[in-house]
Amino acid sequence: MRFRQGAMRSLADEELMQLVQDGDVRAFEVVFDRHSSAAFSLAYRMCGRRATAEDIVQDAFLSLWRSGSGYDPRRGSVRSWVLSVVHNRAVDAMRRLGAKSGLDVPDEGIAERLPAAETTDAEVERRDDARQVRTALDELPPDQRQVIELAYFGGFTHTQIAEMLELPPGTVKGRMRLGLTKLRFFLGEESRVTI
Amino acid sequence: MTGDDHIANGRTCGEDAAAYALGALEPSEAEAFRRHLRDCPDCQKEVAEFEQITGALPDSGVRYEVPKDLRRRVLAEVRATPKAAASSSRRTSARSWRPALAWGGAFAAVVIVAVVLVVALSSGGSSPRTIQASTGNADLQIASGHGDLIVHRLPQLPAGRIYEMWVQRGSATPTPTGTLFAVRPNGSAAVGVPGSLSGVSAVLVTQEPAGGTLAPTSAAVIVAHVT
Repeated sequence: MRFRQGAMRSLADEELMQLVQDGDVRAFEVVFDRHSSAAFSLAYRMCGRRATAEDIVQDAFLSLWRSGSGYDPRRGSVRSWVLSVVHNRAVDAMRRLGAKSGLDVPDEGIAERLPAAETTDAEVERRDDARQVRTALDELPPDQRQVIELAYFGGFTHTQIAEMLELPPGTVKGRMRLGLTKLRFFLGEESRVTI
Repeated sequence: MTGDDHIANGRTCGEDAAAYALGALEPSEAEAFRRHLRDCPDCQKEVAEFEQITGALPDSGVRYEVPKDLRRRVLAEVRATPKAAASSSRRTSARSWRPALAWGGAFAAVVIVAVVLVVALSSGGSSPRTIQASTGNADLQIASGHGDLIVHRLPQLPAGRIYEMWVQRGSATPTPTGTLFAVRPNGSAAVGVPGSLSGVSAVLVTQEPAGGTLAPTSAAVIVAHVT
């Protein structure tokens, strides 16, 4: 079945992925346009280096094109899967390159912040979700938020965080668990973000 | 193990579930926890719930615009990569390759640079390791049976040419991975080796026409022996 580009953009991600797996470049283009900004933002925030972030995003999307890289619709959305691949590759890259947290790494090219245009219902909903997540993080005790951010965005293991903060490893794991449990509570079942 | 056990003793797999969802366990711990997950429905449920949360964390930061040249580069590679060729790496079809003659001929015809990496990959080892090329032009990073090839100072190719990655299993003819890549202006690139390295004896890179080929047309510029 062939779709006009406009019709293609109205398809759900899961439908697009079926077309991608059949080799439809236009479907891939729509998937890329929907999720590449979130993917690049995550990689850039983690690595703090535009070139590295670009490599990670390029590699993730090309692997999606080549083989779907194991995407399984039963295990979550395309968006969460793409971000998971990007996150894993960013962690690998940071550990491989011995990079510190992206927060204090000098950049070799400044990325442009995305304009705040809210042109679609989906984008409006996503921005609402983002606000909820930021609010929930802000509600966390600083020590719990710190270990979560160091782990997820900094790519550090709990052992590294424990050394960094001069804490027993069990304390770090405990703070991670408490923090995630509170986030789960803050975000709640009804207002759970769509990912 | 039950959920009550988690709460009662205050330390066990429940603590690992959060660290696992955040990707913060050490590699050996993560591997052990994955094994544990298969038989612990409580942890499966907890990890699934935590992963809902960690999956939302990317939304907490500033959104950046995708660089236009990145979009152009990705779409150009996709358009240049025939899906049939890309997916052929998952097949073992003999027609994918005209074995040895083309390969051997290409080797004989042009020898540009050969970087040989010898990698001792223990079958059960999961600790990340980085193997540096003796000439310093490439590293192969292996973690949990998967590889990333980091290349340095490779020449940028002219229009219509691209680097292509291949894998060899045992002494069989190498097969295309479907991975095509260009290097940055400084000659570097980081490229994941698709799939597991289990059974792979070598990872190779050649220069090919844009879109890639099913059989190499030039000598390998990188050869990484995985033994």
